[in-house]
Amino acid sequence: MTHRPTPKVPESWEWFGLAFLLLFMACVPALFGGRYVPTVFTSILLFFILGALFDFMLGYLNIVNFGIAGFLCAGAYASALASKFWGVSPWTGLAIGGLASLLVGLFTGLLTLRLRGIYVGLTSLFVMETLRFGISNARDITRGVSGLTVGIFPPITGISFSRSNPLAYYYLLLILVVIAYATLEVVVRSKIGLVFRAIRDDDIGVSVLGLDVVRYKLLNFGIASFFVGVFGAFYGNYLGILVPTPQEFGIERTVEILTIAYVGGRGTLWGSLLGAIALIGISEVLRDINQWRLVIYGCFLIFVILAFPGGLAGAVRHVALKFHLWLGAGRYEIAGAKETTIRSKGGPMP
Amino acid sequence: MLTIPVLLQLTVDGITRGAMYGLMATGLAFIFGVLRIINMAHGELFMLGAYVMYFVTVGVGLPVAAGMIIAAASLFLVGVALERSLISPLRTRLGDNWLIDGYVLTIGVMVVLQNIALIAFGAREYGVAGFWPGRQEIGGLVIANERLLILAEAAVSFAILGLFLSKTDLGRAIRATADNTDAARVLGIDARSIYTITFGIGAALAGLVGAILLSTYPAYPTVGGDILLKAFVVVIVGGLGSIWGAMLTGPLLGVIEAFSTAFASGGWQNTVISALVLSVLVLRPQGLFGRQVTRP
Repeated sequence: MTHRPTPKVPESWEWFGLAFLLLFMACVPALFGGRYVPTVFTSILLFFILGALFDFMLGYLNIVNFGIAGFLCAGAYASALASKFWGVSPWTGLAIGGLASLLVGLFTGLLTLRLRGIYVGLTSLFVMETLRFGISNARDITRGVSGLTVGIFPPITGISFSRSNPLAYYYLLLILVVIAYATLEVVVRSKIGLVFRAIRDDDIGVSVLGLDVVRYKLLNFGIASFFVGVFGAFYGNYLGILVPTPQEFGIERTVEILTIAYVGGRGTLWGSLLGAIALIGISEVLRDINQWRLVIYGCFLIFVILAFPGGLAGAVRHVALKFHLWLGAGRYEIAGAKETTIRSKGGPMP
Repeated sequence: MLTIPVLLQLTVDGITRGAMYGLMATGLAFIFGVLRIINMAHGELFMLGAYVMYFVTVGVGLPVAAGMIIAAASLFLVGVALERSLISPLRTRLGDNWLIDGYVLTIGVMVVLQNIALIAFGAREYGVAGFWPGRQEIGGLVIANERLLILAEAAVSFAILGLFLSKTDLGRAIRATADNTDAARVLGIDARSIYTITFGIGAALAGLVGAILLSTYPAYPTVGGDILLKAFVVVIVGGLGSIWGAMLTGPLLGVIEAFSTAFASGGWQNTVISALVLSVLVLRPQGLFGRQVTRP
């Protein structure tokens, strides 16, 4: 029997799904209003994009950035301190946060990305913890564990960003998320993204072709670090107070992000949105038994890795594929041997 | 301040503390050398060992030696159960491409164990003041008895592990699997059992260290995080997967830490250690005693 390419869901379906999710995320908080729903949706969006950025490194280059919360921390503190000492506007602070995190990222990346396997994960863990201890110790500048208060975004085009107006923050975040996500998708679908996946599957093979593997890894790491820093800066302004605890900027935050990326489905980017909705939804429902939250995260993570490697995105794709084949079943049966045409042109990411 | 007794005192203190980091890191290096995963849940195995020790010695009232043996034995069983139920199925499914997934899987285990301990025992610290109070003076050198006990236990554990790996058939089989799994299979070694036993021994070492250090690190749910970072430092500096590297680097790290705590103000020893790790990663990524395989 000849080799049959795996059938795939048409790309247009994926775009349709993405547009639907975007519409959903854009409308629901405004429809409900109040404080609660926009706050929950802000967490969902924030964790979605952090998960997607994590996945950008993990799913496309097999880089486990175990210190992603440290990059978030770098962005948040850089922006807050710049605003405190030099009076930089929080709007510029978004870029400053991104650049600070990019610097940390390039430093970590230059040290470790030429090594294979697990070194990036271990080193970024150290970078994160060192940063966090440093911030806790430098009380004169960062106020350490007593917490650094962060101002609000100044009004722009008449929209007030007071903290009693969660919707303004939500839509600001939505715009930032769309920009970041679009950038990631463009990179992933470009030739560069192709090289990323080639390196993931066979780095020696790619280097034999004359491509600089380390440079591509550094590019990937740099892009992700920059955006994580931008969202760190946003997060600081959104929260209003920064405290260098493990829950905020340490191992626990990293685990949350990592779980969302894994549960959502690796190598899809958009899967993290499903992951964020599922996990944050569950923890909102189970708010009364808060202590079980991380147990559930951990069990979810173990279950997904062991039994369900495609994550939620994989499940959705599977259902969509079944539906697609069912729709086209008659046609392809008539076409008989031409069933290979099921394969879409170009096709989404594997 | 820089007198010979002070330097000696610092060295002895450092070696004692470092011996424990070394023992902890040995388990980590052992598991990495054979199974090729970084066990992120190692700190939680340490934590479980500390709880077992507390409940056996303080709760039930058994002697210290019994506590250590029970802690090591029960953690061996925990390790075997974890390997068989979670890690082995993943390895079977993924084969050689499993490194990253195995790593993340242990992160899941870490989170679950830590939070279950939090629910079961609360955030309270279960500790003991010391198993052997008092101190010895040897020619101007003052050593707390507790330190001597720790040092002796570390030496005995290292000796037993070393003998086990070099003299027994099982130890040799483990080393063969670490060197070359396929060749070991051809020679009739059941690699799957070796993986399970190795993980069990690594877990038992972590539990043993948790038990021994109960007087220094009381048992509480997140106690493992700090000691895990120390073990990572040892493993990176000594060379991933190198057992002798871990055994030697542990005391070295302890001495560096003791000196930097003594000569620099608080908080700086973390910076010194981080700088050490980063410079090793830049200059000698395979570690000071580096080979990428377990070969005691």
